[in-house]
Amino acid sequence: MDEFDENEIAKLLRLKRYEQPRPGYFDNFLHEFHRRQRDELLRQPLWRICLERTHDFMFRLNVPSLTSYPAAIAAVLICAAVISLRIYQEPEIARVAVRSRPALSATTNAEGEWTLASPVATRVFTTRSLRNSSESARAHRAAPPRYVLDSVPVSYEPTFKF
Amino acid sequence: MNPSVALPPARRLTDLLSSGLDARAKSKREAMKQARKDEDQELVARTQSGDAAAFDQLVVKYTPRLYGLVYNMTSNHEDTNDLLQDVFSKAYKAIRGFRGKSSFYTWIHSIAVNMTLNFLKKRGRRFHLSLDDVDSSIQNDKEFLELTATSSPVREADLSELQRRLNEAMMKLSDEHRAVVTMFHIQGMPHAEISKILRVSEGTVRSRLFYANRQLQNYLDEFRKNPVA
Repeated sequence: MDEFDENEIAKLLRLKRYEQPRPGYFDNFLHEFHRRQRDELLRQPLWRICLERTHDFMFRLNVPSLTSYPAAIAAVLICAAVISLRIYQEPEIARVAVRSRPALSATTNAEGEWTLASPVATRVFTTRSLRNSSESARAHRAAPPRYVLDSVPVSYEPTFKF
Repeated sequence: MNPSVALPPARRLTDLLSSGLDARAKSKREAMKQARKDEDQELVARTQSGDAAAFDQLVVKYTPRLYGLVYNMTSNHEDTNDLLQDVFSKAYKAIRGFRGKSSFYTWIHSIAVNMTLNFLKKRGRRFHLSLDDVDSSIQNDKEFLELTATSSPVREADLSELQRRLNEAMMKLSDEHRAVVTMFHIQGMPHAEISKILRVSEGTVRSRLFYANRQLQNYLDEFRKNPVA
């Protein structure tokens, strides 16, 4: 039978195993492999060699497994710090508005003068504005500017001078 | 009623004997495969811990086999040599990431096949056959003797002519089909192993093989009609 059947093709293809490189090729292959590796290493920039060495070192120490827990804890702490900072730095608009009112007021007692009769705890105070905002603006515009020449208050001056 | 009981005693005896032999051969193959796997695992572990000599042993062990694989896909000795060097270089760089999900055998073959397929895509049709010498021991091969005795094209053609024809027929196949034919017919790998290496289903491997055999039959038919062109 002259026609190739599937079995014959399979047998013919199996004969291709006998195609071999020149003698000694496999013996020299490892030397060639080492030579190419050295050449490749010499062509690499210094930073890459350092990076690879560091990577190898880390791999040998198995650093990723050691650092996983501390890294996770550090990440959680950083997140907590960022969130807490944001919460405390929020502007307190409502509180500022409430506190601004008594700043422009002075205290007086009901009779207009101090009395020793009533104890301090039961003393009743009433508030009265010193001047309203329009009065204050007018006074500032009318009065000449005053300059503070001596910033040290009188009470701070020494009593006795030798 | 069990159908095997109805068989004649002689038939059942041969069946039992053959199944027993098959099982023994299979278990022997499995044992060898396991021994190879264990040895490879140890060498891989040593390489991963920084022992370069262990990788050298892997190179020495797998070079002849991978050479056959790459050579029969490229049909060019120089390309094969360069590719093989690149395959081992890539494997050495990547071996730290090898987790042993597959065997080293499958892993290194996957690298070799993928790199060769990429190379063949880049090379396209610009190539020349640079064939290795056929080992003289082929003259003693049982299958070769059978072929030369029964097939007139093989009988009439000399060895180099036969080799040239076969390689030309192989190069007419697509790269993927050639890879399957090389692994199955030349390297003698089972379908399951090929499917793991190529990461395709066993059905795909079988269908590629069937199609490639048909094509080879057609190409070699010319050789049958005109043995010495």
